[in-house]
Amino acid sequence: MAKREAPEINAGSMADIAFLLLIFFLVTTTMDKDLAYLRKIPKKVEQPENQPPVQKKNIYTIVINSKQAIKARDSVIRADEIESLNGRIKHFYLVNRDKKTDRAKNYPYYAFGTIQLYSKNLTQSENKLEALKAQEEKTDKIRKTIDQTYVMIEKWEEKLSMARLYKEYSGKREVPEIAFEAHIRLESFIDTDYSAYVAVQSEIQRAVTELRDKEAEELFGITYTAMNKYYQQNINEDSAKLRDYRKKMDLIELLFPLRLIEVKPKR
Amino acid sequence: MSKFRKKESKGAPGINTSSLPDIVFMLLFFFMVATTTKEVDPLVEVSPAQGVGLEDLTPFKQRSEVDFLYLGEPRKGDKSKFDKGIAVQYDGIIHKDGINHIVKWKKDKFDSKPAEFTAPKEEVVTCFKADEHVPMGIIFEARELLGDNNFNSIGYYAREKGNRRGYEIRQQ
Repeated sequence: MAKREAPEINAGSMADIAFLLLIFFLVTTTMDKDLAYLRKIPKKVEQPENQPPVQKKNIYTIVINSKQAIKARDSVIRADEIESLNGRIKHFYLVNRDKKTDRAKNYPYYAFGTIQLYSKNLTQSENKLEALKAQEEKTDKIRKTIDQTYVMIEKWEEKLSMARLYKEYSGKREVPEIAFEAHIRLESFIDTDYSAYVAVQSEIQRAVTELRDKEAEELFGITYTAMNKYYQQNINEDSAKLRDYRKKMDLIELLFPLRLIEVKPKR
Repeated sequence: MSKFRKKESKGAPGINTSSLPDIVFMLLFFFMVATTTKEVDPLVEVSPAQGVGLEDLTPFKQRSEVDFLYLGEPRKGDKSKFDKGIAVQYDGIIHKDGINHIVKWKKDKFDSKPAEFTAPKEEVVTCFKADEHVPMGIIFEARELLGDNNFNSIGYYAREKGNRRGYEIRQQ
């Protein structure tokens, strides 16, 4: 028997089906991306009492009142010049950078860590841990000190690897670290508008990002923003490039930390 | 007898549409890739604040590590029913408890996902999609509630301002 040929399927309505799908997707989806400033809420820790207060020079206070008037340190900032906050915050970070003498009195000082210093501290902590472990009677206090020493060792190891990375790329022996207390303090009122608050957040973010991008470009030849974008998109992969970027970003974040304290409004 | 015999005119020739489905499919795939689905229809009026240097939340959305809540004036109904006229929308509904419902909402959301598929509690972002005139007091209340329950990551939603100078802020 002769083989019958399969009848051809009429594809004339294919276009209609495709159009239908296309229109469905056009209606149910949006083009605009969701953008936001990501912030952390600090964890509650029990503050040990009688801690010395943070020195004034280490705080950059920005206040927004209920009429959206902005004050940064002692100067009033008019609404049309909010963008000057960018320069002011950069100045706060940079004015004492690489300066060991003749520093601006009212701004945070820098500390200069070296590989030698960090290795010395690391060895000291390790020796301390050995000594503590060797003790036969372990009271609660000793256990607590042991835990603390572990934390210290971890911290010094991290700093040591940072200093090595910095030396490798910049050739400089000393890592300029801004005072650990230096921070931006953002105060608002209960009635402050969200838009004004976000505008100030925007300027803070811009200042820090520009500082980080410039530094990263000089050290690694790639901006912090680009590294962060790649990192966020591929965070679940376990590749060498991702780990490399994480380390480099950690170094940049150490050089220019974004320490922002958002104070709960009282009025 | 001419070599080139004139064709009898039959009107305009038909256009070949056999490649039309291919073109439309191409468009379809483009839109499928380039857009994201809308989460919910907003029940409150949100005209976003503006800023620069914002972080893209798309990777967070793809990993479902971000929850949005909407704050603003209600589109329907009496706004005086709400504290300061600001309604809070969680997913599809405006909750009558306002911002105090946030902890229960976050906990339910977190518990509904299996632990191995989600980021730790501290890293799941809570993003405030707030209208530009929302007072900060309400957001700080939410911050405190979230902080007490170890939801430590938040996001302030805004729109990219572009290169325009200045910020649009309500002067009083």
